[in-house]
Amino acid sequence: MAQVEVRNVDKHFGDHTVISNINLKVNDGEFLVLLGPSGCGKSTLLRMIAGLELPTGGDIFIGERQATRLQPKDRNIAMVFQNYALYPHLTAYENIAFPLRVRRAPARDIEEKVKWAADLVALGGKLKRKPRQLSGGERQRIALARSLVRNPEVFLFDEPLSNLDAKLRNASREDLRQFQARLGVTSIYVTHDQVEAMGLGERIAVMEAGVIRQIATPEEIYLHPADTFVAGFMGSPPMNLLKLTDYTLGFRPEEFLPQTSFAPGVETMPFDVKVNRIEFLGGDRLLYGTVGGALPETPVIARLPSSVAWTGTAGESAKFAVARANLRYFAADTGKAIAPVGTKGRVHA
Amino acid sequence: MRRPRQSLAGDRAAAYLTLSPSVFLMLLLTGVPMVTVILTSLQKVGMGETSGPFVGLLNFRWALSNHAFYSSLGHTFVWVFGSVGLEMLLGLGFSLLLNKKFRFRGVARAVIMAPYLIPSVVAVLVWRYMFHDLVGVINAVLVGTGLVRTPVLWLDSANNAMMSVIIVGVWKFFPFVVIALLGILQSIPREQYEAAQIDGASPFQQFWRITLPHLLPVFLITALVRTIWNFQKFDIIYLMTGGGPLDATTTLPVLIYFKGFTDFQFGRAAAVAILACIVLGLIAAIYLALIKFAEKRL
Repeated sequence: MAQVEVRNVDKHFGDHTVISNINLKVNDGEFLVLLGPSGCGKSTLLRMIAGLELPTGGDIFIGERQATRLQPKDRNIAMVFQNYALYPHLTAYENIAFPLRVRRAPARDIEEKVKWAADLVALGGKLKRKPRQLSGGERQRIALARSLVRNPEVFLFDEPLSNLDAKLRNASREDLRQFQARLGVTSIYVTHDQVEAMGLGERIAVMEAGVIRQIATPEEIYLHPADTFVAGFMGSPPMNLLKLTDYTLGFRPEEFLPQTSFAPGVETMPFDVKVNRIEFLGGDRLLYGTVGGALPETPVIARLPSSVAWTGTAGESAKFAVARANLRYFAADTGKAIAPVGTKGRVHA
Repeated sequence: MRRPRQSLAGDRAAAYLTLSPSVFLMLLLTGVPMVTVILTSLQKVGMGETSGPFVGLLNFRWALSNHAFYSSLGHTFVWVFGSVGLEMLLGLGFSLLLNKKFRFRGVARAVIMAPYLIPSVVAVLVWRYMFHDLVGVINAVLVGTGLVRTPVLWLDSANNAMMSVIIVGVWKFFPFVVIALLGILQSIPREQYEAAQIDGASPFQQFWRITLPHLLPVFLITALVRTIWNFQKFDIIYLMTGGGPLDATTTLPVLIYFKGFTDFQFGRAAAVAILACIVLGLIAAIYLALIKFAEKRL
């Protein structure tokens, strides 16, 4: 077991900066997710921790060791790739045994370890098959078993679930989490899927354009996004952002409810919304609308649980509001979260 | 139910109809010559004749009891396996090299293909000039640097001639192997090497356990193709040495040519051709078994 620390790491490819001055500390046994849109540098960061890329500047520590320039094999890490990187000519058994074979482990150890790893991922019966005779989920589990047999100190996952279909992905996510919790191995997991990130991560590092925008627990990131990028990236649909002259106002679609649904005494900020479209999703409805009037005209989304009574139709104007406690404020220039701005009065619509 | 069935039959007829020109052309171009050779091998056909008296298997008996046939067969084996072996070795080496990233890789890839594109006659003329014992550049260098005292008779000594021909053949055709193997090398997913690196595989282990298994089926198919082509190779050998000196480079195709167009014994030439074909068939069968084995492993 080991903690992983990334200090002031930069990565340039020629003139192109992929990672700029990243600092990150992953605690011993923690499950940390690197989340961001494609091209944000999350995979490059993971590959530098693995030793498959060298940083242009900065240091990487694994456990107590300075690992920046260590060979991948000397870092005591294991990595699961998006396409699993299984060897097509080897059986599942031999694929799992590969890390031990190349290290010339004794035959008895190999047998014991492979059996142990295969049982752990529930793949016992299919060890004689070649990867192409196995399903996507089974291949993914072979890749996982292969990463286990060396008792790595750190697991690195590079979007290991994105090649699976949606249903299987949910099941695998659950398996993966339980499995990591049982082994307690420090894990760093790269994904662009926020649902996966929220479900798996003890903490999430949200990245954009080579920079970490926020590192926090899923709750913290969802409830208190550090800036407008995180606010607009997390959540589906994401946080509504209203650009006012002095600051940007943010609120989650599910906090944006008909004025009438608030209990008396709750301090709210009301808005006049022109409802453009309503989507019925079963458990709730999505209202696509526009706030305007004195405010700059901005599209907003409200998510109404079916339990909230509201009978409006598309094309109408309606009174919606947000509890003041659920409003978030961001600086107009930097987009960073700021303390609530004392606007006692009503924002006129 | 009847209408679709009818239209299916109609489709089938149309399919055969549209196929028939190709089938006809194939029969004309391969079937007719094959039958002609078989018929010729059973006759005594002389100069200026297209057929002659039926002699049964006499031509085959002649070939199988004649020293010239066996020595040509031996030369063919030396030529084929000598050149294919070296072509595969060089092809593998250069494809691995050209798969690495380095500056001017694109240029290097283009340059290495050059021998394959030069017409045989041109290549042979240049090589013969280079091999010349008095004015050739190879001897000039060897003697000039003191590696040998007297010029080497590359083409005019029965001991060296086959080696010289093999050198030219390998030089001309190893780029084909490079092209074939490079294609496969480029298709191996990079992650497999990365996973192996993380797992602690040395470069040699990566080659042995990842590269080679991926290459093997295509490597064997390429070797088979090169074997078939070299088995039939005539132009380079005939142009380099004319089959000499003292028949030292007379392979089966050269022997067939001599029987047919020097001795004008077309029946015997045809019999040797059929025997050569059978030998080649046996070799191909061995290759195909190997390929099947290799593909089963993949």
